[in-house]
Amino acid sequence: MLDETLIRRTLTEALARGGDLAELFVERRSSTALRLDDSRVEDVASGREAGAGVRVISGERASYAYTNLLTEQGLSEAAQAARAGLSGAEGTVAADLRRSVGPTHPVKHAPEEVGAAAKAEALSRANEAARSQGAAVRQVSASYADVQQHVLIASSDGRIAEDDRTRVRFAVQVVAARNGEIATGFEAPGHSGGFELLSVHDPADLGERAARKALRMLEARPSPAGEFPVVLAPGSGGVLIHEACGHGLEADTLVKDASVYANRNGERFGSESVTIVDDGSDQGAWGSFGVDDEGIPAQRTVLFDKGVLVGHMSDLLSAAKIGHPPTGNGRRQSYAHLPIVRMTNTYLLPGPDAPEGIFSSVERGVYAATFAGGEVNPATGNFVFGMAEAYMIENGEVTYPIKGANLIGNGPRVLEVIEAVGSDFDRKEGVCGKDGQAAPVTNGMPTVLLGKVTVGGTEA
Amino acid sequence: MSDLQKLAASLAGRAQSSEEVEAFVTHEKSFNVKVYSGEVESLSSAEPRGAGVRVVSGGRVGFAYTTDLGEQSLDQLVGQARDNAAHSTPDEAVALAPAWAQAPPEVTGLVDDAHARVSSDDKVSFALELERATRSLDPRIRAVEEAVYSDSDAEIGLATSTGISGLYRRTDAWCYSMAIATEGDDTEIGFEFDLARGIAALDAEAVGRAAAERALGVLGAAKIPSGRMPVVFEPYVAGQFLGVLGSALVGEAVQKGRSLLAGRLGEQIAAPGLTMVDDGRREGAPGAAPWDAEGVPTGRTEVISKGVLTSFLYDTTSARREGRGSTGNAARGSFKSAPHPSPSNLAIDSTGESRSEVLERAGRALLVEDFHGVHSGANPVTGDFSVGATGRLLEGGTPAQAVKEVTIAAPMLEILKGIEAVASDLRWLPFGGSYGGATTLVAEMTVAGS
Repeated sequence: MLDETLIRRTLTEALARGGDLAELFVERRSSTALRLDDSRVEDVASGREAGAGVRVISGERASYAYTNLLTEQGLSEAAQAARAGLSGAEGTVAADLRRSVGPTHPVKHAPEEVGAAAKAEALSRANEAARSQGAAVRQVSASYADVQQHVLIASSDGRIAEDDRTRVRFAVQVVAARNGEIATGFEAPGHSGGFELLSVHDPADLGERAARKALRMLEARPSPAGEFPVVLAPGSGGVLIHEACGHGLEADTLVKDASVYANRNGERFGSESVTIVDDGSDQGAWGSFGVDDEGIPAQRTVLFDKGVLVGHMSDLLSAAKIGHPPTGNGRRQSYAHLPIVRMTNTYLLPGPDAPEGIFSSVERGVYAATFAGGEVNPATGNFVFGMAEAYMIENGEVTYPIKGANLIGNGPRVLEVIEAVGSDFDRKEGVCGKDGQAAPVTNGMPTVLLGKVTVGGTEA
Repeated sequence: MSDLQKLAASLAGRAQSSEEVEAFVTHEKSFNVKVYSGEVESLSSAEPRGAGVRVVSGGRVGFAYTTDLGEQSLDQLVGQARDNAAHSTPDEAVALAPAWAQAPPEVTGLVDDAHARVSSDDKVSFALELERATRSLDPRIRAVEEAVYSDSDAEIGLATSTGISGLYRRTDAWCYSMAIATEGDDTEIGFEFDLARGIAALDAEAVGRAAAERALGVLGAAKIPSGRMPVVFEPYVAGQFLGVLGSALVGEAVQKGRSLLAGRLGEQIAAPGLTMVDDGRREGAPGAAPWDAEGVPTGRTEVISKGVLTSFLYDTTSARREGRGSTGNAARGSFKSAPHPSPSNLAIDSTGESRSEVLERAGRALLVEDFHGVHSGANPVTGDFSVGATGRLLEGGTPAQAVKEVTIAAPMLEILKGIEAVASDLRWLPFGGSYGGATTLVAEMTVAGS
């Protein structure tokens, strides 16, 4: 990507006025995106980007500059901008750059070798399958996106790493309408891998499933409001773990004492059935990579072991402050961004309970089948999640769909009220936003019963 | 002609016969500093540039972008957009913006002339002052999680083979602070921001103090019993509500059955006193520009007049579907994306009362200071609106008990019809478009607490 002489020269220039560490991040990215809407392929887009960022760390301070010019002059200017404000003695770059390697995520069918025609055809198949589900299906949009990203990270302490990341995602959204009622359904699988995603998740099947969801939700009645037991469906419910537990265990919030979990290692937060991990090495998962954006190999980190808080996620800076090795969670949206602590694939692992038994234990409650997303305040642990697809449970049976439901509560308290953890498991892919940066993440969990939580709805 | 405008023109000039080409190019200088605990935590500067091209041919459109502005790359860029167009479905509505009859008038106040002369040191000092102002208000402010100053100086150029060629410059400066307040076991977060054309118009003291006050205000907050009651939106919160409603006002969403307002043109959809305007030229609003993201001159569109839905918002293609003209509402995130229709600066006209008059009129009500989970709990397609809220209970118009962990809900049309007063304290929120919020009284919503 860049020859080692130029890399060393850039790092040396970045340290010319002092600093503890200089790092170069170089990225080349190509992507295609197609979108079908209203039965027409309306957007066909592709892009190529190249850029490099230079970071100089001096004490607690990180200075960063980036450029789109991957030439000697462009890199030199970035190095000079990144060292601006420093006035110390020249730092040294390690004599040898040692290469680190992480897990690989195989690509069977490279997206750049698949023509746009095949991608457009997949969209049409999803559209037709969704529309064939009934006249109430009013609108279908489907999108296909692939990204090939090559990164190189080198730092003055002698580390160098490269990573090739290919990701593909396919999404279908269906709007259904009948008698003045409108409802939506959504499916959006993705993975770290190639076009073979569409062999695992057939576009027609995705279209059909999204349409069925929307049609079911047309029958929805207003959600009750109040405190209820809630059964979380496998997969989608994982967003709750991501928001309620994951963000508070990102070490940048821990070191600022801005997390509800700060200084509470070893404390019990949930039952023996609650084990939560973050695993950037999970082969082929949407949030996976080989090395993170600071060159640290992806790894599996246990956050809660049998209900007890045991771990956290970190990047280089927060790891140094905590005094633990970095966990490979330093990620950035692109060369234009500083790395920050991010989750990868965050899973509540399967437990001992049969999913059917979980439902039959609920007299009156809510089944949250699909969450629409959510947000959390890491300092307080308070969260809110909207439900895109939800049902009432009455006397152990799922009875009718409800709309306008959301879930409101507090992270540590929600682990406490996990009363059953199913033996099944599923994953859902998403995009997490933090500090204005987007990152692909996976949430995973089995069927889970929350004993009593606040459900917001329109029926008081 | 500047280099950027020449670049755009040279890309548009690559059009072959029987096709049209549009080039959107930007060159920006950006700066960002984040401080923590009295020290600079990170500092970032850059000069990004890039180009995005659309090729339209026989009703088909393709888009491509690049950061490599070398001659060879530019040829490839247009070629790639042309190849992409071949895979889209033909649609006779698809077109680039028509040539200008005359150049659109400039919008004043887009640039702070002093911007380029502000040193990095001054910007760092501003961020440090912002943090100090946040922290020093009260000993219960335990930390300032983030205090940030950012700015941007951007040139935006656009040219089309249909005859448009334009360039404008805008400067932006913004800051925010996030205070953490602790008392006993209770920890709360308070957020405040400000934005302007330049650093001189930002007030570090006021932003810091407001962030701290928000965090302190929620300390000791509790749930309140579930029930129906009047609700007052703070300006920040009212702006977020408009952000959701804005996507339902886009003509394309209506055409595609993806708006709760579809089929309601001419209907009374809001309280009789309510008028809502989208104005792409509004001075002082963050989304102001002389022309939109595909080169159409910006303008003013009354979308709701005295409670009646009077117009939707259009870009060129969605307007042609209805045989009408664009309202100048094409937007794009950056050169990396093709334009799409969106509100420019959307706001409800004040009903004339001051903030204190609105609070007094509310009597006993929930004053909402923050929404939580808007992107998941509010749906512009179905009109469902159910979000988490923090704030205070108003007793006789005076803020009393702090409230948290409640949700508030009502169908969006019911909220619009229930708007009884909009105060004159308008402020702009730059959240994916720009939305003007003011203290707003809604007659009744469902509050779910304990």
